[in-house]
Amino acid sequence: MIRILARYSILFVLTLLVLAVMSFSLAYLFPGDVLENLTGIVPANDAQRMALERQFRLDQSYIVQFFYYLTNLFAGDWGYSFTSGIELRDEIGVALPATIELATYSMVVALVIGIPLGYYSGMRCYSTSDYIINTSSITTYSFPVFWLALLLILVFSLQLDKAPLSGRVSLLFNVEPVSGFILLDILLSDMQNKSLAFKDALSHLTLPTIAIGAVSTASMVRITRRSVIDARHQPYIAAAVSRGLSGWQIFFRHILRNALLPILPLMAIQITTLITNTMIVETLFSWPGIGNWLIQAIYQRDYPALRVGMLAVSTLVITLTITVDMFNRLIDPSREKYEHAAI
Amino acid sequence: MPQYSLYEEEFHPSPWHRTWRAFKASHIAMAGAVLLCVFVVFALFAPFLTPYGANEQNIDGLLVPPSWMGNGSISHLFGTDSLGRDLFTRVIYGCRVTLGSAFITVVLAMLVGVSLGAFAGMLRGVRSSIANHLPDALMAIPTLLIAIIIVAIFGTGLVNSMWAITLALIPQFVHHTRSLVRSEMKKDYIVASKLDGANKWQLFTYSILPNMTEMLVVQGTIALSIAVIDISALGFLNLGAQSPLPELGAILSDGLDVTYLAPWNVALPGMAIFFLVLSINVVGDGLRSALRKRVNH
Repeated sequence: MIRILARYSILFVLTLLVLAVMSFSLAYLFPGDVLENLTGIVPANDAQRMALERQFRLDQSYIVQFFYYLTNLFAGDWGYSFTSGIELRDEIGVALPATIELATYSMVVALVIGIPLGYYSGMRCYSTSDYIINTSSITTYSFPVFWLALLLILVFSLQLDKAPLSGRVSLLFNVEPVSGFILLDILLSDMQNKSLAFKDALSHLTLPTIAIGAVSTASMVRITRRSVIDARHQPYIAAAVSRGLSGWQIFFRHILRNALLPILPLMAIQITTLITNTMIVETLFSWPGIGNWLIQAIYQRDYPALRVGMLAVSTLVITLTITVDMFNRLIDPSREKYEHAAI
Repeated sequence: MPQYSLYEEEFHPSPWHRTWRAFKASHIAMAGAVLLCVFVVFALFAPFLTPYGANEQNIDGLLVPPSWMGNGSISHLFGTDSLGRDLFTRVIYGCRVTLGSAFITVVLAMLVGVSLGAFAGMLRGVRSSIANHLPDALMAIPTLLIAIIIVAIFGTGLVNSMWAITLALIPQFVHHTRSLVRSEMKKDYIVASKLDGANKWQLFTYSILPNMTEMLVVQGTIALSIAVIDISALGFLNLGAQSPLPELGAILSDGLDVTYLAPWNVALPGMAIFFLVLSINVVGDGLRSALRKRVNH
């Protein structure tokens, strides 16, 4: 157990270090001035430039520069945005929770709908209902997420006028950001018409969540179904049948948990797709999340923002992926044995 | 006559033949294959199938509706866009650009991924660990992010977005190749070839690679569908293919300006992407279940 934890934390730290090196080297790779890319400050005159260069150790070797960059990152001094002039840490502090919120709800939708459906069609495999579920999941899985979001906007926002077009909450409600998650913030705030604001935020959330959740749900159904079918063909199921266990007993005692085991590592891979889809859908719904923010940054060639935004998003994704992977390793001892034999 | 010739007349289907039989038995998979063939024909023979040039503008026919609508005309099957370009022509050229660039992307990613994966699988110790974990770290970075960074460094364009998607696809191939090579290396036939004095290169090319082709085909179809979606998504966000180039995502984002006036400019390119991805997914699914049937019997 401790060995696994140690291994994964070493892996985590090394990966983050690689990402930090990449983010630092971006300041040199991006077009334009290194100092401006690194700090986001455009020096007014030569004296200020000299002072800044000395402050950011740009007159010393790359290693010294990198370590100074690293200490700055830890100190929370991430530089300024070219376009808004605001500290990048504040901007990301608002944008990242918005993305996490949207992605979480979509993931919850995918888990709540996808896993039971997958179990159902896996248990009834090659029946009519299984074919219907499987066909609809492969169809949904093939939808390009931006087109699905566009169709939802066209149908529900513009034609039927059922859902709002963009943003997180109507401008009438002034929600004080505490945690960064809009629903939580509304519940925590002490405004008068809390329930109205909550309803409004939910109606803003619905369409983007459906657009992202549909694709995640479809892949979840397919993963679960495959895993259930594989579990049903194991010898221990045949043994359980021959012992005379009823169908429900076999399902609850033997299939349910064993089928969940292979789903977890595949879920870790899904996280990346989920974040990508969230970032694309955000731009369509003008959701003030990190994807929308990064795409605005690339349109305006805001290099400091891109440098830090890349680091923030990849840190988020890698933290999630490694955590899920480690959790999976902890609850599945058979995998550990295999890995030990392999290395 | 004695039965000596019977043995030679007996038909032994090859593994691929058996896979094809199992594939053919599924009607849905065959329908997907036919649809995919149609798209491939579109991609290969686009200039012969289209009535107009991809960027040919017709000032007299702006926003003509598709032919099945009331005031549409048969001379423009899918109608025209805001510059009077024939949408049917552009969608067919779009299939060519999108499918073609996705295919090149996948082949590149496969070449690099398989060589790296084989390297990681045949070696042991720290080098193997690095070759395994580094792509894992890369895999965790979303495609869109890699694309944004590449665009920031090199500028927008279809080729740059292809590089980004290649980078994002490589880790999957590395992962699958590595685990397959690992499990094959433990089998008896590899030990037998080792005893015959085969070196690592011979082991890989003569013994492992033939056993890997099926996995590669299945992984390739999955990667192809991801690549098509990603290329069109980047085109849609104006980070990949730029506007006059007929790429399905770029056509879709062009049509977005006139959604109210001419909804077919959004609907038809989107439908083309959808059917393209659907056919690839159905074929991939059919291949996978055909292979599974063959292995199980």
